[in-house]
Amino acid sequence: MNVQPDLDFIKHLKGAGGDALKKCYQCATCSVRCPLSSDDNPFPRKEMIWSSWGMKDKLVADPDVYLCHNCGDCTTYCPRGAKPSEVLGAIRSYAYTMYGWPAGLAKLATSAKNLPVLIGIPVVVIFVMWLISGGMHIPSREEFGTYGYQHFFGHWEFKWYAKNIFFIVLIMASSLAIAGFSLYKGVTKMWKTMSDNADIGSAYRPSVIQFVSQFLWPSLVEIVKHNRFKECTTNTDRVRGHLPLMLAFIGLAIVTTYSLVKNDIVGLFWPAAHGPMYFFDPFKILANVSAIALLFGIYVLWVSRTKTEAAGESSRTFYDWFLIWQIAAVGVTGLGSELLRWLSLPAVGYIVYFCHLVAVMMLFLYLPYTKFAHIAYRTVAMAFEKYRDSSFGKPAVEQ
Amino acid sequence: MDKKYCAYLCSGCGIGDALDMDALAEVVTGEMSMDCKTADCFCGTDGRALIEADVGEGVNTVVVGACSPRVMKNEFDFGDGTITLRANLREQVVWAEDKPAEDEEPHAEAAEFLNETAADYMRMACTQAQKTELPEPHKLENLSRKILVMGGGIAGLTAAREAAAAGYEVTLIEKDDKLGGKANDWRQSFPTKSPWTDLEDNPVAAMISEVEGDSNITIKTSTEVARIAGGPGAFRVTMKAAGTETEWDAPAKVTGEERELIEKGEMENPNASLVDYMEADPNAEIHGAVVMATGWVPADVSEYEHLGYGAIKNVVTNVEFEKLAKEGKVPANVAFVQSPGGKDHDMDFPYCNSVTSMVALKQAQYVCEDNDEGKAYLLYQHMRTPGSQELYYKAAQQNDGIFMTKAAVTKVEENGDKLKVTAENTLLGEDLDLDVDMVVLAAGMVPTTKEEDTINLAYRQGPAFIDLDLFDGYADSHFICFPYETRRTGVYTCGGVRKAETIDEAIDDATGAALKAIQCLESTDRGVSVHPRSGDKTWPDFFMQRCTQCKRCTEECPFGALDDDEKGTPLPNNTRCRRCGTCMGSCPERIIGFTDYNIDLIGSMIKSVEVPEDDDDRLRVVVFVCENDAYPALDMAGMRGNGVNHMVRFIPVRCLGSVNMAWIRDALSAGMDGAMLLGCTYGDDYQCHFVKGSEIANKRMENIGETLSTLGLESERCATQQVAITDYDKIPQIVNDFVEEIVEMGPNPFKGF
Repeated sequence: MNVQPDLDFIKHLKGAGGDALKKCYQCATCSVRCPLSSDDNPFPRKEMIWSSWGMKDKLVADPDVYLCHNCGDCTTYCPRGAKPSEVLGAIRSYAYTMYGWPAGLAKLATSAKNLPVLIGIPVVVIFVMWLISGGMHIPSREEFGTYGYQHFFGHWEFKWYAKNIFFIVLIMASSLAIAGFSLYKGVTKMWKTMSDNADIGSAYRPSVIQFVSQFLWPSLVEIVKHNRFKECTTNTDRVRGHLPLMLAFIGLAIVTTYSLVKNDIVGLFWPAAHGPMYFFDPFKILANVSAIALLFGIYVLWVSRTKTEAAGESSRTFYDWFLIWQIAAVGVTGLGSELLRWLSLPAVGYIVYFCHLVAVMMLFLYLPYTKFAHIAYRTVAMAFEKYRDSSFGKPAVEQ
Repeated sequence: MDKKYCAYLCSGCGIGDALDMDALAEVVTGEMSMDCKTADCFCGTDGRALIEADVGEGVNTVVVGACSPRVMKNEFDFGDGTITLRANLREQVVWAEDKPAEDEEPHAEAAEFLNETAADYMRMACTQAQKTELPEPHKLENLSRKILVMGGGIAGLTAAREAAAAGYEVTLIEKDDKLGGKANDWRQSFPTKSPWTDLEDNPVAAMISEVEGDSNITIKTSTEVARIAGGPGAFRVTMKAAGTETEWDAPAKVTGEERELIEKGEMENPNASLVDYMEADPNAEIHGAVVMATGWVPADVSEYEHLGYGAIKNVVTNVEFEKLAKEGKVPANVAFVQSPGGKDHDMDFPYCNSVTSMVALKQAQYVCEDNDEGKAYLLYQHMRTPGSQELYYKAAQQNDGIFMTKAAVTKVEENGDKLKVTAENTLLGEDLDLDVDMVVLAAGMVPTTKEEDTINLAYRQGPAFIDLDLFDGYADSHFICFPYETRRTGVYTCGGVRKAETIDEAIDDATGAALKAIQCLESTDRGVSVHPRSGDKTWPDFFMQRCTQCKRCTEECPFGALDDDEKGTPLPNNTRCRRCGTCMGSCPERIIGFTDYNIDLIGSMIKSVEVPEDDDDRLRVVVFVCENDAYPALDMAGMRGNGVNHMVRFIPVRCLGSVNMAWIRDALSAGMDGAMLLGCTYGDDYQCHFVKGSEIANKRMENIGETLSTLGLESERCATQQVAITDYDKIPQIVNDFVEEIVEMGPNPFKGF
């Protein structure tokens, strides 16, 4: 293996929380301590020396980097204070940016300095949409009481498809589409490099059904159950936050999907399906419960992060906080909008709702470049781990 | 001296409870015909006053039957004119009583046994008092207080500076045409203070100008030592222009046998062109002590063909790289190879050490300082950064451009205008190949004494320090206990010739060596021993009329203190002598002795022990105990109540090397049933304070064992055991086991003859 250390990569890691990475003296306490590390592929000792040697290409396609759930056990027990968990986090942040598409946007999402632009983009987009839509006025109390935010982007007498929905779908679906495409590109690239590095032959490949049933689905089940997260025993606090948060996202995804189906599909044939849900509608209840779970989850994570930072167990990085801020913003503005609707305060309500749209768009648009990207990369890495250990994961010669 | 004796029996510390003090006093007053006084605490004010009053009234030889002579030294010191002898009734009699196990009845005569033992110790002490004379220190008529410092590097400069600062005249000689030594080529030096992370300016230039400006220091560059004759206080130093050969060069060692062959014309005299070693050079400059700081030379690394030194242009040694770094910029990509073994072994280059590890770290830092994108690879099997140097290692580790891994470097080859370094077994989990501009090999630091005599003594035992192979050629004699001492009294080594050292360490080391040289001068001036029997006023007296020129003393002296004439008659150099008595032990004619320690004195002590006949419960075993380690260990055993068999009588000796086999004969012919020697470990990891004493004694005991067999005595009646000072828990068992063997053998058949 010819090694050409990448000094810029080392600098990046040092700036992104891995400032102590070069302190590592390879004792492997971290690998022994890590509850997720396996006997066959222990980590993060090897990741530490690869990092201090600036071996970027090896690290961004190393599944172990993504399998880490960042419990911080390794950092707590590192006798040299090299903070392996922070280093792995820094590698992940670097990888998300590196795999990100378009590169300019990916780069933009790496620094707090760019926050004005990061917030500015959705603000301008949504504001312009609001102007274009013709809905740009603060409604009267009565109007607000009847329609809530349903006429935010105006209203047309086209019963099969609401104007508001049209604009929201236009904004959010495009953002998600960009994110989805970017993630797809990144994940496939990573998969290929991981396969090459693991020397997996291509003679036998699983079918799509095999892939989903044997590798992807079991990984998803594991993720939902938080099996690995729970193995990080020092992490019980974060599980208490992460689990409700994840369930909240699932809940909100269900509600959104239901709402989409109700409004955009059923609504085409049955116009009465349009309109806000009643408070006791089971989906509305799910939405509200999810919103509360989301706020609770993000609160727990916020506090836990603050605590570990104060204890010097983790570093304060934009990479970590940006996602916490984004989710907190989504939750606060979402629930805020609902409360303001009940309070019948249209002007404030509209402003908060505007912010909510901005926050949601940010979450979607920057998903592949921020910590949120772990949702895809870690899932893929877990699937890859199962793939690598299966009969498909044999080197070419053995196949 | 007209002796007036008095013995003092102390009943304190449990002695009075265990012993019949009146009976003991009767032994002294009766058999030994000495006055005897008893009190319960002689080390206290009242007790001491009692003795002092007697001393005031003319008592000049005091026998104290109390605690070990190793304790209460000041309390029982009654001035230079008074001889004081101690019987160790406390640690080695009362406290060392062999008590029965819990479920066993004590021996019916246990109390008598203990009294008999105490009585014997009093008899021995009184005999010793009768035989001891006050020593007269041996003083030189003309003592030189000048110190010779060999070598003008960091260590030599420091030794010269420190000795001069203490008010001594110094001659500093340097082989090169300028002072400074190797350090002249160093770009920067290691950190010497907190936080131990920053390189410092090379101090050598400042040190040179300081030494050059010192009026106490005479500097002679381009100069070497041809030979050094004489001893402390009066070394005759012949100097010569560096690199030349003269008739005054130190003669090679010629053993006694070789000398005979040469005389018969059967062997060529290797020293034919040189002046005899005993001839005094009239032009020699007299010095009182020598500090040897001749340093080191870089090891040859061309033997490792796979690393390409000498064959590939940009493969250099650490010394060459340092010079490059001092002269200008170093290349941007450099691999530092610390270990040459490839796949075969993980050893470092010969003579690599913590200094070469530190040098690699320092030079890696140069690479990053001189180049924006500098990358330095450290491929090591071992990194050694002891003490605070670890902090420098940690700082280097933090440098983005320094990459370290344990690795077996298998090949260095040319690759276009670059070099390719291949390594296996790395911490990265894979084999490596690196593209670099330059490869730096960690050549070790070979002490100058490895290949050359260097000190060039005109001594009977040869020009070089002996047995340096035990220390890989480093000029050292006993690393743990006496770092500066060489096997030649008055010569103190420091710096790279003694041990691979950083500049900081060399400065400390040289300061110590300068102080040792001063200590040597001052002790020699007072006519006392320097080390390790510091302050001993006695010296070996030879009764030359009876010498048979057997040359055993000249050959066996561990310190080369004895020269000889053509016939082989020993010519003692008392200022070289360490007073171990190895010569006394070696002499078959028993003509060597000290005023307070000689063949007759110890022999009489042995004979003073009462040896009962026809009593199997009262066999007698004499144990000669080295007073450096074994004796204190016995005291400690006593303090812990570890019992020793009542048949044993201990006699402390200066060193097992001083034990003359006449004493063993004395003991056995006096009817004693066994004799044992308890001394220090010998061999490669010897602990003998006099280096060779216990080894020589062991050989002598093997020989006497054979003699005993021819007389029909079991050779097992004589034994030698090696113990350390920490063996206090084992020694009683060792001794008791020996007694048991003797008991099984039965009494000495010659008893009573």
